[in-house]
Amino acid sequence: MMRALNFSKRNFKELIRDPLSTIFALILPLFLLFIFQTIKIPSEQFNIENFTPGIIVFGSSFLTLFTSMLVSKDRASSLLIRLGVSPMKTTDYIFGYVLSFIPVIIIQNILFFILACFFGLQFSYSMILTVLTSIIIGMLYIVIGLLLGSCFNDKTAPPLSSIIIQLVCFTSGMYFPKEMVGDIFAKICGYLPFESCVTIIKGIMNNTIEIISLKNIVVFVVYTIVILVLSIIVFKKKMISDNN
Amino acid sequence: MFAIETKTLTKKFKEKTAVNAINLKINKGELFALLGTNGAGKTTTIKMLSTLILPTSGDIKINGLDILKDRQKIKEILNVSPQETAIASNLTVMENLEFMAGVYQIKNKQQKIDELIKIFKLNEVIKQKAKTLSGGWQRKVSIAISLINEPKILFLDEPTLGLDVISRKELWKVIKELKGKITIMLTTHYMEEAESLSDRIGIMANGDLIDVGTSEELIKKSNTKDFEDAFVKIATGGEL
Ligand SMILES: Nc1ncnc2c1ncn2[C@@H]1O[C@H](COP(=O)(O)OP(=O)(O)OP(=O)(O)O)[C@@H](O)[C@H]1O
Ligand SMILES: [Mg+2]
Repeated sequence: MMRALNFSKRNFKELIRDPLSTIFALILPLFLLFIFQTIKIPSEQFNIENFTPGIIVFGSSFLTLFTSMLVSKDRASSLLIRLGVSPMKTTDYIFGYVLSFIPVIIIQNILFFILACFFGLQFSYSMILTVLTSIIIGMLYIVIGLLLGSCFNDKTAPPLSSIIIQLVCFTSGMYFPKEMVGDIFAKICGYLPFESCVTIIKGIMNNTIEIISLKNIVVFVVYTIVILVLSIIVFKKKMISDNN
Repeated sequence: MFAIETKTLTKKFKEKTAVNAINLKINKGELFALLGTNGAGKTTTIKMLSTLILPTSGDIKINGLDILKDRQKIKEILNVSPQETAIASNLTVMENLEFMAGVYQIKNKQQKIDELIKIFKLNEVIKQKAKTLSGGWQRKVSIAISLINEPKILFLDEPTLGLDVISRKELWKVIKELKGKITIMLTTHYMEEAESLSDRIGIMANGDLIDVGTSEELIKKSNTKDFEDAFVKIATGGEL
């Protein structure tokens, strides 16, 4: 665990020294929140209580991009040769990557809430609970990034991550209800984890836990665990075969 | 017990045999130079010995430990300076040293780091980001890092590549001081380096380990006047 922590410290430094992507992950969601609150669209979807959770999940999806970039770049560099002969275990790498993104989630949430309060969201203690929930939800996006970064090289992984970000926009219900597009689309959305993420955050943030269904939780947990396990397996395999 | 012992060590990449049934016995405290033409299989051999890649077949014992069964224990006692400089590019030199000290969970971390800074005269670059260093400095940092866990067995893959004459001589001095205390295997394309540093020399060509001996032995055996001629004769099978 100490090794994972040590590794995450290095990853976090790596992250903040490449500030462009971090700024992007903060500015873009804030900008969207600002725009959609300023133009006052007469739809429930865009009420501050309903839209902020979408923005939080949208912000988390950038973690997929960060993680896949970092992992695929690391895999291409000879630093990993050095780490490959060291006593670091696969779990040290994985947790090291995961831990380094938690500060990013916290910073994102705080900024989103500040802006949302400015647009009339009531401050409440459930916000603190929401930050904690966001960290858990963020795990999904981090492990997706781990998987992409382990499977693909540093040219392919980032564009694939952008597809995930797009999927979040269209299938999470943050902009429009899934039923609008049709039955099949609505069904697919139900089995993708992104809508569940938004629903969970919504329920916690607005103190309306009853809207979170068991299915939401199961879908989220299953995706997160399956992808985590897959990425551990792939990373371990690649760690040896990249140098093979 | 040998520090490094291999039996019919082999690595195949698809059809290509990079390392072909090598038998090696290296004593504790010995400095062994591995020479060979480009693509001879030196780096591949080091990668297998240092736990980075798995052999296709054959055995490796490091300090009597089996490379497959005792992988984790072996990792604690060895280190490598890879052929390509391996440092975290966005971290400063100091942060690189601290990071690697953390990777090995070094107890007397600060003391060890100070020691390396002194040996390699890293003070003038200590706050600089690794990617802004010149190639030679990056290499020095990379070599310094490979000593952070006080390895019992050290692999140096072309350590003096890209170093100026003075830095090279300084590194030789460092290596000579380590000699006898730890086991070192180094590769180089500089004959005088192999001659002046090593106890024994192994010559590889096309994946085969053709000959092993002291430089004098190899010169005598090949009936040549100096070591460079001996190397050329042995590595080419007498064609040149
Ligand atoms: N990952 C790999 N996939 C396929 N072939 C490889 C791989 N790594 C090495 N080889 C091949 O194995 C052979 C030995 O390579 P190696 O890097 O061990 O040579 P070397 O003796 O270190 O050469 P140099 O002096 O140029 O560093 C070469 O023919 C090389 O092309
Ligand atoms: Mg080589």
